Amino acid sequence: MDGREDDAFDALSDRVRRRILAVLGEDGELSVTDIAARVSSVGRTTVSTHLRVLRMTGLVRERREGRNRYYSLDTEGAVRDAFVYLQTILDRAVGDLHTGDGVGASSPDGPAREGGRRTG
Amino acid sequence: MHTTASTTTVAAERTVELAPDEAFALFGTPRAGSWLFGARCDGVCPGATVSLRLPLDPDGTGPGVDVLGRLARVVPGALLEVEHTQPWRGRLAVRFVPAGRRRTRVRVRADVPREGVDWLLHRRGLPLPEPPDDGALRLGAITTASGTGAVYSVSAELMAELAVDEVNAAGGVAGRRVRLLTADDATDAEQAAHEAARMARLGCRAVFVNSTSASFDAVRRRLEHTGVLVVHTVINEGGRSSPTAVRFGERPHAQLDALIGPEPPARWFLVGQAYVWSFGAHAAARRAVERAGGHVAGEALVPLGTTDFDATVERVLASGADRILSTLVGADEVAFERRCATAGVRERARTISLVLDESTLAHIGPDAATGLRTALGYFQDTALPGNAALLARYRDAFGPWAPPVTALSEGMYEAIHQYARVLHADPDADAAAHGRALVQGRSGTAVGARDLLRPALYVAEAGRDGLEIVQQVTARSQDRNTWMRQ
Repeated sequence: MDGREDDAFDALSDRVRRRILAVLGEDGELSVTDIAARVSSVGRTTVSTHLRVLRMTGLVRERREGRNRYYSLDTEGAVRDAFVYLQTILDRAVGDLHTGDGVGASSPDGPAREGGRRTG
Repeated sequence: MHTTASTTTVAAERTVELAPDEAFALFGTPRAGSWLFGARCDGVCPGATVSLRLPLDPDGTGPGVDVLGRLARVVPGALLEVEHTQPWRGRLAVRFVPAGRRRTRVRVRADVPREGVDWLLHRRGLPLPEPPDDGALRLGAITTASGTGAVYSVSAELMAELAVDEVNAAGGVAGRRVRLLTADDATDAEQAAHEAARMARLGCRAVFVNSTSASFDAVRRRLEHTGVLVVHTVINEGGRSSPTAVRFGERPHAQLDALIGPEPPARWFLVGQAYVWSFGAHAAARRAVERAGGHVAGEALVPLGTTDFDATVERVLASGADRILSTLVGADEVAFERRCATAGVRERARTISLVLDESTLAHIGPDAATGLRTALGYFQDTALPGNAALLARYRDAFGPWAPPVTALSEGMYEAIHQYARVLHADPDADAAAHGRALVQGRSGTAVGARDLLRPALYVAEAGRDGLEIVQQVTARSQDRNTWMRQ
């Protein structure tokens, strides 16, 4: 488990971050000031802190233009993280396969990942 | 990012020092119930109901989310395949491959469709994708794919889709195709309101809510004065409605009249959820119990999402009650009834349950459910005109292991068909006019035209083979008390 993913699921429980993501989803790219104006319950500094976490977890991307920073949803990064999450929980599930009553010992083969996507 | 419709496969494997049939036998058994996401099933055969719990937090803490489905393929010692509809529609396969003497490679593979990825992203706060502007007339369906209500809402989205497909196949509404937008409220009223606001923003003419009364109330408040009609499509306690907020479904007082008759004075214990649904249902229950000459010996109200019913069941036993009314819903009802069965409650008291549809019953399992009674407006086995054809179309569209059609999902199907007819007749009228027409137009008994405001009820009892209808109570005779047969 890497720390990056931990942060992503912290974001899940935070309503402010959800609100930021919803605003970006509706309006596309916005500056910190625009976002803070739309997320009324918190100030600009708090919004900046949340944006940094969202950027680190791959949900939001940042673009700099002069002294300004603009933020938008990073859907690709989010999809990537969703699959890291699915792979992690499947790996853990087979890792938890106990043979019961001390019958035999198990040897992990490590994760196996089927290549890519298939259309269907 | 791939935006085309696609399914992605994620897999993991491990070799264990067991023969394939030994490794196979560890699935779903109480001893090894935890190895594949705590898989629980009462039988390892095709069609058996399965629930698994995916951790949503990477460290395995937190509530997680239930994957609900059925075993679609079983090859003893070699293969298990689960087809699930909650929280997304997908497939999970476990293969057991011999890997030398008394060694088996166990390979788990999950097929995750695009909608599954969308669900995961949405759960993390990303907005759902916007539908393309295709000129279609939009309707919204809020169902419950996760949380407590996911158990009773398993087939609601499928039935909404079926209704919309049928409306389109018949030429659409006033010459336009209909497009269904769906969302999971996660058994959370605030989430329901958020999804409803999105549906209104995207131009939905009506939003059908297949969820708790708490979610319905939140949606109704959020969409007031937006010109969007809100329709509650499941059993509820009644109460406040308006021309733009229509409440369909069974009502507790009618269910209780059908279930509680003149019998020797009984001691009742009421178990429900701590929100408006059970408050209303229990008020009706106290009146019904009093009329029947019994009395209420105790009551327990628990929050949605309760999993541990040890203390509640102890209170039930200590009360000396010989009748239990459960108004618990979904996963909470499953947990309560399973605990009652193991604690010996069945030998001491008879239980009636108001939200005991075929899916909830299947998750309780026949061992724990036998003897439970309910009264609902629809069961899969009802002889309603058109029901056999409906079930055939449903299986044809979604496969033999699609979840059962229930009173709750059939209500969704009915409501969409009935609304489509109202809209077709007068497409330019406002939501209030549509709401009034929807309420006035009811009268039939056939599938697609059932009276959803005051449905005829069937009393059913759970046995080894599911719910068996023991009595039909017509809408007219709901005014009279009817016997609870011994």
